[in-house]
Amino acid sequence: MLLQNAIGDALNNTEWAFALAECVHIGGFAVGIGSIALVDFRMLNLGLRHETAGRILRYTELWTVVALLFVIFSGVGLFLSQVDVYRVNLVFPIKMYVLAAALIYNFTVHRKVAKMENPPPLLSKLAATVSLLLWVSVVFGGIFTGFLV
Amino acid sequence: MPTAHSIQSIGSLTAFSESVLAYPIVLSIHLACIALFGGMILATDLRLLGVTFKSMTITEVVTSLRPWKRVGGTIMVAMGLLLAASKAETYAPNPFFWTKMIILGLIGVHALIFRPTVYSKTEELDRSPVVPAKAKFAAILSLVLWTTMFVMGRLIAYWD
Repeated sequence: MLLQNAIGDALNNTEWAFALAECVHIGGFAVGIGSIALVDFRMLNLGLRHETAGRILRYTELWTVVALLFVIFSGVGLFLSQVDVYRVNLVFPIKMYVLAAALIYNFTVHRKVAKMENPPPLLSKLAATVSLLLWVSVVFGGIFTGFLV
Repeated sequence: MPTAHSIQSIGSLTAFSESVLAYPIVLSIHLACIALFGGMILATDLRLLGVTFKSMTITEVVTSLRPWKRVGGTIMVAMGLLLAASKAETYAPNPFFWTKMIILGLIGVHALIFRPTVYSKTEELDRSPVVPAKAKFAAILSLVLWTTMFVMGRLIAYWD
């Protein structure tokens, strides 16, 4: 049964494990989303203008990927520790759909536009705005998963 | 604690903490700020340490992100204080909350010490062939302070 799983048990039975998993989850998304936001701010012409968006992306993408891996693994752990709660949660599936959309968008459209040599300014700004909206929505989804139970 | 009780009993704060939507929305904004502007703090400190963004000068990184860090920091602190004030009675005896507030104070001290000597002297740093030790020290201290601040924030929920 999913409800009786080793990872979930470890998180539930160790006093500090759940708190640690939450810290990794939130710290990870801060670094992951924060590094994506640096590219977005460049695409929106709001900062780091001395460098191209493509170059900023190259500087940050490793951080993004590593941080998001931490977020996903700690998130799976948190999920497994309370499967029965998440299974009936109304917000959780929406968060997962938005997360999937944000991930796919980030590594396809967003990446492509950021790497364009001379993107139309409007396209660049649109791509960055959609990115910020998607990721901020994932954060909102996470908090609301915890509150609307 | 009477003071804490009177703070959270302010009419609008009671309405706020009891609202199904307002409290999680403010908490979400607080966390979204941590993500968006935490990334900028990280970028600044890692540039000072010479870890990344090396094709940009320190001046470019620091000055172009500065206004956004100010905006983000202000929203983040304002939302945080709103969250704490609305649950003042729960927060008042919480040692993690007070540790977090002390760290917030130390971040202020860090700014008072290192703004005039490092963050406002970026052109000097860019001219120097290697980043001076005091700038690297400021960056490491900033990373340590913000990480501790973040962990304390999370641990507030675990004290009972």
